[in-house]
Amino acid sequence: MSVRHLRAVVVKEIRHVLRDRWTFILVLVTPISLLFIMAYALTVDIDNVPIAVMDHDQSAVSRDFIQQLSAGEELDLVARANALEEVERLLVEGTIKAGVIIQPAFGEDLVGQRGLRLQVIIDGTEPESGTFAMEQVARRTEAFVVRSMPSGSAEWLRPIELNVRALYNPGLEPRVDLVPGLISMVLGLPALSVALALSREREHGTLEQVLVTPISRADLLVGKMIPYIAIGMINVVAIPIMAMAAFGIPFRGSFGLFFLLSIVFLFAMLSMGTLIGVFMRTQPAALALSFLVIFFPGFFMTGIFYPIAAMPDELQMEAMLLPGTHYAIITRSIFLRAVGLEILWPNVLALAGLGVVFTAVGAFFFKKRLG
Amino acid sequence: MTERNGDRGEPPAADRGDVVIETRGLTRDFKEIRAVDGLDLTVRRGELFGLIGPDGAGKTTTLRLLAGLLKISDGWAAVAGRDLTREPEAVKPHIGYMAQRFSLYAELTVMENLRFFSELYDVPPRERAERTDRLLSFAGLTPFRSRRAEHLSGGMKKKLALACTLIHEPPILLLDEPTTGVDPVSRREFWDILTELYTGGTTILVTTPYMDEADRCTRVGLIYQGHLVRCDAPEVIRAGIGEELIELQTDQWREAQVVAKDLPGVSQVMTYGESLHLLVDAAEDRLPEIEAGLEAEGITYRSLRPTRPRMEEAFISLVRDREREGLR
Repeated sequence: MSVRHLRAVVVKEIRHVLRDRWTFILVLVTPISLLFIMAYALTVDIDNVPIAVMDHDQSAVSRDFIQQLSAGEELDLVARANALEEVERLLVEGTIKAGVIIQPAFGEDLVGQRGLRLQVIIDGTEPESGTFAMEQVARRTEAFVVRSMPSGSAEWLRPIELNVRALYNPGLEPRVDLVPGLISMVLGLPALSVALALSREREHGTLEQVLVTPISRADLLVGKMIPYIAIGMINVVAIPIMAMAAFGIPFRGSFGLFFLLSIVFLFAMLSMGTLIGVFMRTQPAALALSFLVIFFPGFFMTGIFYPIAAMPDELQMEAMLLPGTHYAIITRSIFLRAVGLEILWPNVLALAGLGVVFTAVGAFFFKKRLG
Repeated sequence: MTERNGDRGEPPAADRGDVVIETRGLTRDFKEIRAVDGLDLTVRRGELFGLIGPDGAGKTTTLRLLAGLLKISDGWAAVAGRDLTREPEAVKPHIGYMAQRFSLYAELTVMENLRFFSELYDVPPRERAERTDRLLSFAGLTPFRSRRAEHLSGGMKKKLALACTLIHEPPILLLDEPTTGVDPVSRREFWDILTELYTGGTTILVTTPYMDEADRCTRVGLIYQGHLVRCDAPEVIRAGIGEELIELQTDQWREAQVVAKDLPGVSQVMTYGESLHLLVDAAEDRLPEIEAGLEAEGITYRSLRPTRPRMEEAFISLVRDREREGLR
């Protein structure tokens, strides 16, 4: 190890990032804007789901019920059907996401407390809006029944009543959970940058000139990583501020701890990027492999969207080898549950271990040679 | 050492201090081809040695092997007294290597590039300013010190690369086609710089595809298909090819070319501008026969006289000998 060599590489790399417009955008602008876009795009509030109603009852009660259904923002009554075929056609066309069919004698049965003759057909190809419509219809029906019955007489509709309280995210807002998780995704971009930076030096031939100097392999690789870790830290500070300001995500834990553990994560992630750069000789190859081993698994296997517990056992094992999995746990815990090292230490240990292993493998396979 | 290449010669004894680059049976295989094939090369201290050969002859591979950039497949090589098969890193502080491609950082300025390499080569900070100033003026780059490398002309880039290669004052320089793709004026300037370095005592191994540059070297190695075809002082190579050259100037050079090929003693006909060069076994003896042969075919000429072979003819003649040997 030579401090002078290390410093020379770090300074050179920082100059490159600041002067190469695309690298600058990739490492400093993209992470925050990507988080912004994903947080919006992936947690769209479902509203104004188009539905059709087919009223076989045609009574005052059923008309009143239809009125109740279309009140509010959630459901949008766009058509009235006269036959089942018509409901189907509207579903096929995509004009509606759900059809509500009011059976004959709907009003009579309700008033006589004989039950509720109501059918809901949803578009199963879009389960999100379909189930949303179903839940809304159920909720409104309940409210309608409770309102139109004498007090207490509608209890038969809900035999069990659960009193549920969601801790840490009382509104069960998907974004509150998602945004802290997504941070691990966007911090993959500095890792991509270091992979590209290394393979670019091979492509441009600059590596050849460096390899004939007496610099050690470790100095070269670590010197290459340090600037991207530093730039990642800028993101680590900026992202929570943006998450709080733009999305109202609470930050309940210790910021100091978050900052420190983010360094450990960046180290693990950047050493993964370095490993890619060691093996890939061209930038397109490095890019492709980064997507394959950083971004796709980061998206689907780190528990950001799908709980790890729901994955098959073999995939759960693999998920534990991804830095993103551990960091997603860390960010969510610190942001939302104010948890400290007493709970997170296994994840911190895993991140540090992954970083050391990736760096060691990279340094082992990185020879001071061409070809 | 015996298991490496028992039959290919012994590594040098310790007292051969004068030899700074030495290879014995140096071989490098790539997937499909053998780029360097049993190369034996000896360069002594203070030589300006030219490794000359066509594209694909193995020049770049040889230089990369000597710079420790490629693993030696077979054979043995030592640079600055260090065995490259055993300690390639030990060689690096003693050599300056300049790649064929421009391989400095385009987005760094001239000064920043020099500074970067001065740090990687552990140039003492006290000497850094003085050395960079001297190299900048030496390379004629002083007015461009704050210019980014990407905005330099081709010739200036080569000079900057050379300056970065010289920053640690290496006793041995390995330069891979430093003048390829450079305009003639810059080429001349570059060779003037090399000559100056040579005068200052630096050992230089330079590759070039340009045969005319061979005459500026103290010794020349002709490399072809990974073999060293010939290795000697340029004038010795030119004189000793065993063939002589006749220059023929004629207006009917197309016809003359066809006729001359079949004349007795002529082994090769080459066009050279408006004239033809005939390689013959003995110029003075064959001159009357060639004169007669041309007149018999009705070809008139302005002049027909023996001339001094250039490195190019020498090279072609040597390569042809080599091919003939290969066929036998």
